[in-house]
Amino acid sequence: MSVNSQTVEETARSSDRSLAHQAVPVRWASRVGDAVWYRRIVIGLLALAVLAPIALLVYQSFLDNPFFQANAKLSFSAYSYVLSDRAFYEALRTTLVVSAGITVLAVPCGAVLAFLLNRTDLKGKSIFEIIVLVPMFISAIVLAFGYTVSIGPAGFLSLLVKGQIGRVPWDIYTVSGIVLVGAASHIPYAYLYVSAAMRNLPSDLEEAARTAGASVWRVLWDVTLPLVFPALVFVTALNLLLGFEMFGLPLILGDPKGITVLTTYILKLSTLFGVPVFQMMAVVALVIVLLTLPMVFLQRHLLRNSRRYAAIGGKGSRATPLRLSTTSQVVAIAFICLWIFFAVVLPVGGIVLRTFVNAWGVGVNVFQHLTLAHIAGLLNVPSLKRGVIDTILLSTVGAGLAVCIYMAIGLAGHRNRGASNVVLDYMILLPRAIPGLIIGLAFYWLFLFIPFLQSLRQTLVSIFIAYTIVGLSYGFRLLQSLLLQISPELEESARTTGATIGQTWRDVIIPITKPGLFGAWILIMMLFIRDYATGVYLLTSGTEVIGSLMISLLATGAMDTIVALAFVSIVLTAVALGLAIKLGVKVDA
Amino acid sequence: MKAVRGLMAVAGMVLVGASAGAYAQDNDLYEKAKSEGNVTLYSATDTAQVQSMIDAFKAKYPGIEVDYNDVGPEGTFNRVISEAAANQVGADLVWSSAMDRQMLLAQQGLFEAVELPEAKAIPDWGNFKNVLYATSVEPIGIIFNKNVLAEDKVPTTRAELIAYMKSDEAKDKVAALDPERSPSGFQFDTNDAKTTDNFWDVVAAFGAAGGKTYTSNGPVKESIDSGENALAFNIIGSYAIEWAKSSPSLGVMFDKERTAAFSRVIGFTKGAPHPNAGKLFLNFLLSQEGQAELARNGLPSVRTDIDASIGFDFDSINERVGGHMQPIPLDETLVTDMDNAKRAEFLTKWRDLVRNGG
Repeated sequence: MSVNSQTVEETARSSDRSLAHQAVPVRWASRVGDAVWYRRIVIGLLALAVLAPIALLVYQSFLDNPFFQANAKLSFSAYSYVLSDRAFYEALRTTLVVSAGITVLAVPCGAVLAFLLNRTDLKGKSIFEIIVLVPMFISAIVLAFGYTVSIGPAGFLSLLVKGQIGRVPWDIYTVSGIVLVGAASHIPYAYLYVSAAMRNLPSDLEEAARTAGASVWRVLWDVTLPLVFPALVFVTALNLLLGFEMFGLPLILGDPKGITVLTTYILKLSTLFGVPVFQMMAVVALVIVLLTLPMVFLQRHLLRNSRRYAAIGGKGSRATPLRLSTTSQVVAIAFICLWIFFAVVLPVGGIVLRTFVNAWGVGVNVFQHLTLAHIAGLLNVPSLKRGVIDTILLSTVGAGLAVCIYMAIGLAGHRNRGASNVVLDYMILLPRAIPGLIIGLAFYWLFLFIPFLQSLRQTLVSIFIAYTIVGLSYGFRLLQSLLLQISPELEESARTTGATIGQTWRDVIIPITKPGLFGAWILIMMLFIRDYATGVYLLTSGTEVIGSLMISLLATGAMDTIVALAFVSIVLTAVALGLAIKLGVKVDA
Repeated sequence: MKAVRGLMAVAGMVLVGASAGAYAQDNDLYEKAKSEGNVTLYSATDTAQVQSMIDAFKAKYPGIEVDYNDVGPEGTFNRVISEAAANQVGADLVWSSAMDRQMLLAQQGLFEAVELPEAKAIPDWGNFKNVLYATSVEPIGIIFNKNVLAEDKVPTTRAELIAYMKSDEAKDKVAALDPERSPSGFQFDTNDAKTTDNFWDVVAAFGAAGGKTYTSNGPVKESIDSGENALAFNIIGSYAIEWAKSSPSLGVMFDKERTAAFSRVIGFTKGAPHPNAGKLFLNFLLSQEGQAELARNGLPSVRTDIDASIGFDFDSINERVGGHMQPIPLDETLVTDMDNAKRAEFLTKWRDLVRNGG
């Protein structure tokens, strides 16, 4: 086994951080025994699973009728209609504004939160670490209704304030309302990935800055944040993407004043034409994808030297928390509590209240209207009972399987210097770019028209596959950040003693990442619980899950059932979190 | 004596034979259905509302599983067209609240005509060439919040509704389904435009009052229930009557001059996987027993022979809404009146009045 000059160069560079700003030239020659075929096959399969639905959408967008109808011809009519529709551009503009607004608010707050909870001696860390993730696990529909009950025009907090000052000083049915609610619920995404990167940083650089006289906040800005730059880049891209494909929040909060985003614009097209216009839905979905491609490109460009951010090396080092002054402690805790009140207490409180009352709002004393009927109602309808059970099954067993799949893909991308790595970066973010509803539709078609998949369509397997692809960007990144922090020295020492790459993965990498894997499982579990749009088209008797049931019940106005289901999903999430705590698992990996 | 007895015996045998003949036909269908073992439906009606009807069917015809898929009006349409194209027809019966889309599917030849004994009890306007059947008749009305709007002030005619919406107390407190995004909202509004002469006055008043529009029934109901909005019009009355039973703040009112009504429409799929079970179930659904179970759960029957203590039938619901119920007829005008150009024109006019303040 030859140790080539590149390795020697890099090893030398890594111990001299002052050279860290010089670019390391990437050589494309792959090393012997680098598991090239494993990487190619896994990434190839992934590309197939991700590109198949997208290819179908692209094909559909160039037709003038659903692709499976005999009279469908190649045509630009879908593109010309959408791209010349004023309503489309209004929806696009609103989407961009909402998305940018959410990102600008959520990323800095998430980064500061991660810093406070990982690098400082903030009081109450252990409690906060758990609570800060909760908004992420509440589905958007649940959130939206929860906010309506708590701070909507007839919400309990609004009526309280109105009683004091005569009017309600806020309105959640506006673009700013959607941005604020969206930002509050997206902070955990930023927090999670930045936190994973910050968690194991050794403190020597931060301590050096402190001894040179920098304040804690200066340290944050000049030392810690630059060290977690890849995570920051990723969460910015992720939040922008999440903003584009948001559906539940704008559906409920944007409805009354007719505020439309790209995903709800699609609903307008169906009514306008009287039949589902898949070709135009495909065009809108592809527009969103095209918007994300430059982002992925930019992200790759910024992260091409991610090797510099490896921090778990062969030498051990302690992470000492930075000390905050008392004022800073108080201010920090106050802000965190305020955010938790807004992002968790208000919506969850709203749902819990609504689940147990049969009347609320103007002129109603809710305590006179308490009832258990909504919960009892769930037990009487077999499809609802099935939905709860299927959700539990999918989110425990399914999430476990998904983590294994993400790990396999993660390993395929680990230290991958080949061209397949470029493919991987795009494959990971692409499914997230397409609104969940449409990816679900594409998968429905794949399962309907491809012969060997047909038998799976009406089983939970079809939902599992769709969820796994949609969850790629979260799950894979979680595992990738775990892997990225392992410095090559550990693997290389294994290789120099004669281990094959498979043995290295099995005996060095996986044991190091094991604690993180449990955390990843719990996280994916909670993401599967809260998904609602992906399973809608695949919904049938036997594939009911809580999220899609809630959407289908919206049409008939069965609000009591919807909130009861929302309550159950909150309880399931709480159980998963409790499980994590009991097992001593660090939920943010 | 002997002759009379003989005559009676013959008469008796003829009678028994006649009824045995009819029963034998039903029994024959049942046997074939039992060997199929399953009937599959795609539907847009909540399972909770149909559970007792399904249970009654299973009790009367044991041995047949009922696979009930509540996939919504969009879902039913999508599935039928895509499954037919993929040769993977999954449902025997397709039951949707979107009357125009069901008609579209019928016109595309995706349904088959079936002759059923119980079809005789279905009125003419509810039977399209034995291909589509109306299974309910549900009036469309107004819901209001009793704490915000006193019952005696609730408008009972279109003219009163316009006057109310023009008043100050209605500002920012009126709601309706958005015809741009809600297919049922579109259906009710276009039906009004076709059958009344002051629809656009209603819309203008709605727009001037800052009317709020919603994509689905759930949020409308919540907004009225909580008092966020005082009144919503063109709402499905059968749902509203049920909601009012469990929501003390919610009231229902119907236009006493004229009340439109829509129906849930069912069709028998071409190439159904279990045709005999499908026919048996459809017949049961249209029978007095099946319709009574639907009426029991808030879906007024399209028949006229349902016991009032169980639920509404055509006559009793007509009485409830003031005697001037006008069901939307199940015919081809459902689609021909609404081609793309007319749809675009309608929606542009709506948008101008509501979004741009008229």
